[in-house]
Formats: sequence, structure tokens, C-alpha cells
Amino acid sequence: MMIRVKLIANYREALPPEAKNGVVELDVPNGTTVYDAISRFDIPLDDTSVIVLNGLTVDMNTPLVEGDMVTAFSAIAGG
Amino acid sequence: MYGWHLKLLRVNLTTKKITTEDVDPKIARDYLGGRGWAIHYLYKEMDPMADALSPENMLIFATGPLTATPAPTGNRYMVITKSPLTGALAHSNSGGEFPTWMKRTGFDMYIFEGKSPEPVYLFVNEDQIELRPAAHLWGKDTHETTDILKGETSQEARVACIGPAGENLALMAAIMNDKHRAAARSGVGAVMGSKNLKAVVAMGNKNPALHNPEGMRNLSVSTSKEVGVDVKKGSNMRIYGTSYVPQVTNTLGILPTRNFLQGTFEHVDKIDGDALKNQYLIRHTPCYRCPLSCGRLTEVPDGPYKGKGEGPEYETISSLGTGCGVSNLAALVKANYLCNEYGMDTITTGMTIAAAMEMYEKGYISEEIIGMPLKFGDHDAMIAMIKLMAYNEGFGKELAQGSYRLAEKYGHPEIAVTTRKQEFPGYDPRGSQGMGLLYATSNKGASHMEGDVAYEEVFGVPVKENPLTTEGKPELVRHFENSFALMDSSGLCVFVAIRYAFNKDRMILPLRVTEMMNLTTGANYTPEEVMIAADRVYTLERMFLMKAGSTEDTLPHRMLHEPLPDGPAKGMVVELDKMLPEFYKLRGWDEKGVPTKEKLIELGLPV
Repeated sequence: MMIRVKLIANYREALPPEAKNGVVELDVPNGTTVYDAISRFDIPLDDTSVIVLNGLTVDMNTPLVEGDMVTAFSAIAGG
Repeated sequence: MYGWHLKLLRVNLTTKKITTEDVDPKIARDYLGGRGWAIHYLYKEMDPMADALSPENMLIFATGPLTATPAPTGNRYMVITKSPLTGALAHSNSGGEFPTWMKRTGFDMYIFEGKSPEPVYLFVNEDQIELRPAAHLWGKDTHETTDILKGETSQEARVACIGPAGENLALMAAIMNDKHRAAARSGVGAVMGSKNLKAVVAMGNKNPALHNPEGMRNLSVSTSKEVGVDVKKGSNMRIYGTSYVPQVTNTLGILPTRNFLQGTFEHVDKIDGDALKNQYLIRHTPCYRCPLSCGRLTEVPDGPYKGKGEGPEYETISSLGTGCGVSNLAALVKANYLCNEYGMDTITTGMTIAAAMEMYEKGYISEEIIGMPLKFGDHDAMIAMIKLMAYNEGFGKELAQGSYRLAEKYGHPEIAVTTRKQEFPGYDPRGSQGMGLLYATSNKGASHMEGDVAYEEVFGVPVKENPLTTEGKPELVRHFENSFALMDSSGLCVFVAIRYAFNKDRMILPLRVTEMMNLTTGANYTPEEVMIAADRVYTLERMFLMKAGSTEDTLPHRMLHEPLPDGPAKGMVVELDKMLPEFYKLRGWDEKGVPTKEKLIELGLPV
């Protein structure tokens, strides 16, 4: 199934060249979770990381469905 | 006593009398400093019903005990006064260098009273304290004013001043310091302008004595190192400042777009942090003693929007940018420069223009009245409006009163997205419920800086909170309001303090802030005591608000009755009724939001 991953700001360095505006499309097997999808990228998943599914706060073990968008960014302060 | 000088400077602009006063050490301890001290004096000495632009209003500049100490980001000051925009309390925070220089004059706080018959500026170099003529500066922008004043005093001095917007009493006028930093919100610059006070120039070598200098140095170094580790990993704040945030709020569907008609902006990629970095960023420009360094010098090198300055930051991108539907980055950057030069709050400026754009598009205000078409996305019209507002000309006269008065005048108050007549910052509360409660109850009108629970709802700092739910939010909002009152009173910057000077629980505790306060002042606070002091500050501010007559805690029509049409929060409004009663109860306020007698007694406040 096809999903999309969007990385924001400094995380974008981990994206492959075909990414556009920070978004890359991925073909992943059924059962792939939010965590599985984001783990494909070389970004430090630590206490500064925020990962959302379709903009919503979810458990990292949530299984993805066709068309989902997983977004990740790092924050140490707000705006 | 250490940390605090325990001295304030009182300047009567009417009589030109300048006096110095000692601050009672018990008051110092009980009200922490900065914002806390200021509300103590304001509440004691001023009639809250006074006209904000009259000589009866007091204008207070206040540093905290950690200002001008080795504490990382101990570089802040607060401007406290009655707001002409809201009729409520104003307390606006700024960093840069001026606050540290101000504290080094040997005074923690400057109080301005009355009104000078002619333009003046205050020069303070320790014991040399003079009101000087400023007629030659009247009409100059904040950059020219700063350069002239440093030229005629000393290059070692630092300047806080108003621009044309403050002189012309625009209700969104800011007080700018070090050219690019702003005590921006609630029209504090208009109060300064109403007093004919063009600028304050500060210099000196009176660093506050520290109770435990070695301990404070060690703690400051270790804290800076922690920040440094995150910066080295590639912190967004060093590279992007807050300009990385539009992508975040757009993802969550809470990016104010076209006057909050939408929560996502289809052109966000054109005006986000990467666009800014790739096109106009020159280098980062830290405030004094800041290991984070989120300020950034930028330049539009050529074309119609040619200019150089700092920013824009997120709140500017979400108001003058997405708020107005503007996707031309060069124009947005230029608009930010102009606001800094004219001395204007970009949030209220941008969201007032955004409200006017919506009213124009709906046919509520004609092209004839405005003087030109004013459609969403028209960046040239936006820039034209900023100039008219700063100089109080044409349609700018109406815009300079803010969106609430504008919308009301033309019979459509539902268009204004304000609380206490102050425009919302860049988080649509329909998709961040805690922010909704915050905006509704804030003593200063809508403001993220009153207790920014977006740290948890949006940024996961220190822990991620679901922004769409109301459960637990009253407790969180109350706690963040008090925590922000503490930070604003201490002299620390929120950006570093929340992650590095509090612990990392959901209910952040000021463990390291307390340690820094103790090493600096010797006051021997417990973390519980500083939080009680912060509650005292917040509650006294509430009492000022009650006496100023602005008592209703509510939200504008759009937030309560018009569901978000797009994004992850589609269909949602703010469920204020679910949160407000619990919030009042937790605060010790009655069902109308008035602090109870028991609460006032508990906090040692006047009944």
C-alpha cells in the first residue's frame, strides 16, 4: 500500500532526493505501523521528536492504511 | 540582598521629577521580580479604570532577578501598563541586550508616570539620570532613533524606543529594543507615545551581586551545555528560529489562514522556514547570553521588497502571511521589517488587516472606504495598509484601532477573532482546546505568552498532549499560566526555560529555575514557594482586570460556532463550557471568574 511520510525542517536532511517539499511516497506492506514507517529514516527519535498520523496524536504502534501521512519533527521550543 | 538591586527609578514626566526608591525585601521575595513586582506597584498605585492613554496610566519597565546574571537567557524584561487596545492589563516581554543593560544601570525597574509636555527621552548611566529633549527624534523610525541616540550618548548604550506607530497612538504599537526585539503586544508603544516618551537609553556597570557566584556560574554552564547538545544535534531553533512552525501547525490544521476561515494554507511551502533559509537567511543573531540563538538576520537583496533586518518569526508568518493569505515571501519579510521599523506588533497588525480583507471580500467595507481593493493574498495592499496604520492616515486610522473596533464599526463584530479585543496568535484553538481556554481566560486578552500550552499540545515539550481533547486541560492551563508568570518575573526566556529549567513531567516543575533564583538571590525558595508566588502574581493581575471592568471570559463567535472546515480538526469548535467551570474551581475563583476572598487571603493579597 502507498503511504506518505513528511519530515519537517532539520529532519528533511534524512529524506531521499525524490522527496518534494519534505514529502516522500512509500510502498509499504500491510501491517506497517507509524513507528515502522518513521524508523526507515535516519532521524534521532528522542524526547525532542514529535510524530503524528494525519495530523493526529496517536500511539506509535497504530497500523497504517492506504493514503496515510506520517509527519515527524523535532521541537525544543514553540513559537 | 543579592540578585535584585532592590532599587527602582521613578520618573514623573509631567513634573520632570526623578526619584530613586528602595524596594521592600519582603515584597521582592513575595512577588519574585519583573512582572510580579510591576503588578504589585501598578495595583497599589494606579486606578485600574484610568484611561490607558491618559497621564494617569503608569508605564513600567521591569527586569527580573536573573536578568544580567550568568543564567542562560537571563536577558529579559517586561513592559507592564494598562493596555489601550484591551482596557485590561498589558505585560509584554522582550530580550536582546537592552534589558541586561537596563539592569546594569543599578535599578531593577523604571516607573514612568504622567505625561511630558514635549517629546523627551530618558538617559540612564548609573547615577547620571536625565530626561533629554527628543523633538529631533519625533517622526523617526526605530532604527534611525536607535542609531542617533547611540551616536549622541555612547555606542556602549542600548536603546528601547517607539517608532511612528507609537507616536501616532496606533493601538498595536510596540516598544522596540536593539532595533529588532519587541515588547510587542497590547499597544504598550502607544502608552509610551501618549507620554511623549520617545526612548529609554541605558548603560552602566552595576551587575547585580550574586549570593553564590560560583554555584550560579557552574549551574549556568551546565545548563548551557545541555542546550548545546541539542543545538549540535541540529536544533530547529538555531537554524530556523520559530519559522519551522508553520509546517507543524499546518500539519495539525491549526495554522490561522485567511482570518481563521481555514486551518491549513495551501501555499505553506512558499513561506516556511526552508524557503526563508534558502532564500534570505544570512546568519543567526542571539540575544545576550543565549546558547539557543534563535534570532536570525535576513536580507531581501533586491527587488521591490529589498531590505535587511531580523526575522520573520512564526507569529509574523501566521498573521501577516497565512492570516492574510499572503504567499509572497519577499513581501512578507518586508512587511516584518516595516513593522519593526515603525514599531508595531505583527500579530495585531496582521490579523487586523486579515479581518479587513475578509470584510472587503464579503462586501462589508467598500473599496472606496479603503482606498484600494483589499483581497486576501494581496501582498502589496497589505504593505500599503501597514504604512497607513503606522502614520494614522486614510483607512489606516480605522485599522490602527485593531480588528475588534473595526468589525464592530461596520456592523460585523463576528469577524473579529479577538478576546478582550486583542487578536489571536498563531494557534487556532478549535484544534488546540487548551489554547482556547487560555485565550478565553487570559488576563491580557488572547496571547500565547500568557501560558503557552501549545508547548505540550503542539510541540510535545516536555510531553505530547492530545490537542483535540478537553480532559485535564483546565489543570494544565492553570499550571502553565502560573509557570509563565514565574518565567516573566524571573528574567528568563521561555524558549530555554521550559525545556531546560523545569523538570520534564507533564506538569512542569521549576526545579532549576528555583535553584537559579536561590543561587542568585539567597532567598532560599522551595519550588512550591515560587509557584505560590507565581499564583499570587497571576491572581493579583486578575484583580486588576476585575477592577478595570473587563470581566467576561469568552471566545469570539468563530471559535464557538463556526467549525473548522479543513484539516485534522475539521468540524471542531472550542468546547469552552466543558473546561471553564473546572478551571475557575482549580484557580479558587467563583463561578464568574472572580478570585474568592479565601483565595486572596491564602495568597496574602489585599481583600
